[in-house]
Amino acid sequence: MDHITSSRLADLTRRGVLGSLTAAGVGFAFFGPRGAKDNRDGRLVLDYWEKWTGQEGAAMQGIVDRFNQSQSKLFVRYFTISEIDKKGAIAIAGGAPPDLIGLYAYNIPGYAESNAILPLNDLARSAGIRQENYALAVRELVEHQGKQWGVANTCGSVGLYYNKAIFRERGLDPERPPRTIAELDEMARALTITGPDGRLSRVGFVHTEPGWWSWDWGHFFGGSLYDLDTDSATATAAANIAAFDWVQSYGKNYGVDKLLGLQSGLGNYSSAEQGFLSGRVAMVAQGPWLANIIKRFTPDLDYGAAPMPVIDSLYDPTQPVALIESDVLVIPRGARNPEASMEFIAFTQRRENVEELSRIHCKASTLATSTPEFFATHPNRCVAMHDQLAKSPRAFTSPRTRVWLEYKDEMESGFQKLWRLEEPAKAVLQRVQDRAQLLLADAARQRNARAALRAKV
Amino acid sequence: MTPMLPRQRSLSANTLGWIWVSPWLIGFIVFLAVPTAMSLYYSLCDYPLLEPPLFVGLSNYRRMFDDPVFWIVLRNTAIYAATSIPLGTAAALIIAALLNNKVRGVGFFRAAVFLPTVVPLAASAMIWLWILNGELGLLNAIINPILKPFGLHGPAWIGFRGTGDKAWAMPALVLMSLWGVGQSVVIYLAALQDVPESLHEAASIDGVGPIRRFYHITLPLISPVILFNVIVAIIGSSQVFGAPYIMTQGGPDRATYFYSMYMFDKAFTYGQMGYASAMAWVQLVIVLVLTALTFIVSRKLVFYRSA
Repeated sequence: MDHITSSRLADLTRRGVLGSLTAAGVGFAFFGPRGAKDNRDGRLVLDYWEKWTGQEGAAMQGIVDRFNQSQSKLFVRYFTISEIDKKGAIAIAGGAPPDLIGLYAYNIPGYAESNAILPLNDLARSAGIRQENYALAVRELVEHQGKQWGVANTCGSVGLYYNKAIFRERGLDPERPPRTIAELDEMARALTITGPDGRLSRVGFVHTEPGWWSWDWGHFFGGSLYDLDTDSATATAAANIAAFDWVQSYGKNYGVDKLLGLQSGLGNYSSAEQGFLSGRVAMVAQGPWLANIIKRFTPDLDYGAAPMPVIDSLYDPTQPVALIESDVLVIPRGARNPEASMEFIAFTQRRENVEELSRIHCKASTLATSTPEFFATHPNRCVAMHDQLAKSPRAFTSPRTRVWLEYKDEMESGFQKLWRLEEPAKAVLQRVQDRAQLLLADAARQRNARAALRAKV
Repeated sequence: MTPMLPRQRSLSANTLGWIWVSPWLIGFIVFLAVPTAMSLYYSLCDYPLLEPPLFVGLSNYRRMFDDPVFWIVLRNTAIYAATSIPLGTAAALIIAALLNNKVRGVGFFRAAVFLPTVVPLAASAMIWLWILNGELGLLNAIINPILKPFGLHGPAWIGFRGTGDKAWAMPALVLMSLWGVGQSVVIYLAALQDVPESLHEAASIDGVGPIRRFYHITLPLISPVILFNVIVAIIGSSQVFGAPYIMTQGGPDRATYFYSMYMFDKAFTYGQMGYASAMAWVQLVIVLVLTALTFIVSRKLVFYRSA
């Protein structure tokens, strides 16, 4: 048997090997993976990577379908990509980017400084997209170093959601949510219930539920974390220290272990077991999309929403303080036909499309004005309040620096320390400040080294 | 003998050999050797992924020493390895020894022990998040009645989004690592079945009890397998990523932030591919040193039958 096998192997000829390789090559060419650079019925195909799935993805797919039906030159293919900021960067670095990417607004500084996305000022203008048509904070989100790098397609503004039924149950006016930090503290105390075993069965308010923006409390005391003009961290500003001293007051008043105990019994955000939906946390800092979660899991929940409370001296009902976040459409470096990509972006920015997407995503509109139908048909009963937040001159965004994600993680780690009363807020913020300043200095050094190299070349 | 056709020449055995190994060879070069060499070069560069690498010498390695997060993740990974490896090895050995007995339904028990290793990581992470839930979890439901007479309550092991008790987050992950012990159990079981029965019989006739027989006969004979499993565990625990990434995202306060997670964040979240490459090389050196040390220490502890 061995003899037969070896004899057959020896009969493998050069012609046979070459023939096999050629056949494999031809097969790969005909049946192998297709690149994205193909036509469809004579139309230029654009690949659009977006992060959304489910209902949110279907909403954008609907707009894509309408665009494809509206003209005969272009055909957009919608792809849902998880961790899009990471995979988008890899695709751009690898020289095989899609034609459009749906990023988060906080990605813009990093991508822009690396020239990984195209500046859109001229393209947007020629497509009829004017920055003045957008809410002020939304404009800031898509700009960096004096240029426009993206177009916002949704707008999330964060307010205080409160459970009206619990307000009623505890004798509070359900139409009068807290306006100042002092009122928030007072109402939180009134809404908190301690069980017979001494453990908290409900808490009025806690900073860590759901705890998505552990860094932004300073803004409600008049502080901020970053000075764009001097490119420096401002974590140790007096207003920030006061804000995080206030955060610590919850651990001191209620007991860290008790708060941890309550939180450990809460479920995932997208479930009826999450703090607000389960009624175990009466007030939470949240965006307008919470209404979608409520509708899905606890449709009978009687809720209201108001601007986040601020310290007394900052309170002004006409200028609420609110965090604004946004999803943005960008055109990556290496996109084959930026004008065609912009044509699709312009289609998404038509008022009817912006309002439809915002409605289905349960967010405020990115535009400076909205139609009465938008408010009337929006699934969030508090959308007008969110709209006011997005247009407030005191709306704020995450710091516009490329090191923000690392800075934010430092803040998160520091927050965990101070929230658990391991160290005074001032000491924690000083450490965060030092670390953030190092990160910023490092980024500046690298930026300068590259600029010098480019100048030399 | 097959007659040779004109103008057709047989390939030499040497050429044939190269052709047969070429799929592996090409894969090795393209997917391992070249990326490895490139990562070494990138570790000497400022490389933000979206821009070309810029040579900076040993700067990334120097920065590592001043980076407090680097030392946190190194310490966390060391603690995880130092606790999960002995615990996992002991648990796997004990379970394998129990499953080596000829009892009724042993096949079912063996399958049950192995089953968790085929459950997808994401699914088992979600199961464990609920088991370890401080208020509603199964673990605390078991231990709370025991602790209650002492006025104690089970800890908030791990909460969603890393909101658990900082002191108990690491022990919770170590505990969870035992969930995947089935793979080692299978290997130990095979080794245990390879131990000659005659040695045990001879020792029994001489009046040696089961514990001493296990210690003096079984353990030396399966020691090469233990060594293999320990080395695999060292490599595995130095790269721990999936479970903490899904369950805690490194929290609370970086209590479960491990080396590979930080390396991943540096590369893909913070866009510092050069620094991440340097971290990868340091990780490789650490694993090599630990493996070499294990081999040195094992010289007097491992018994090779062929020797």
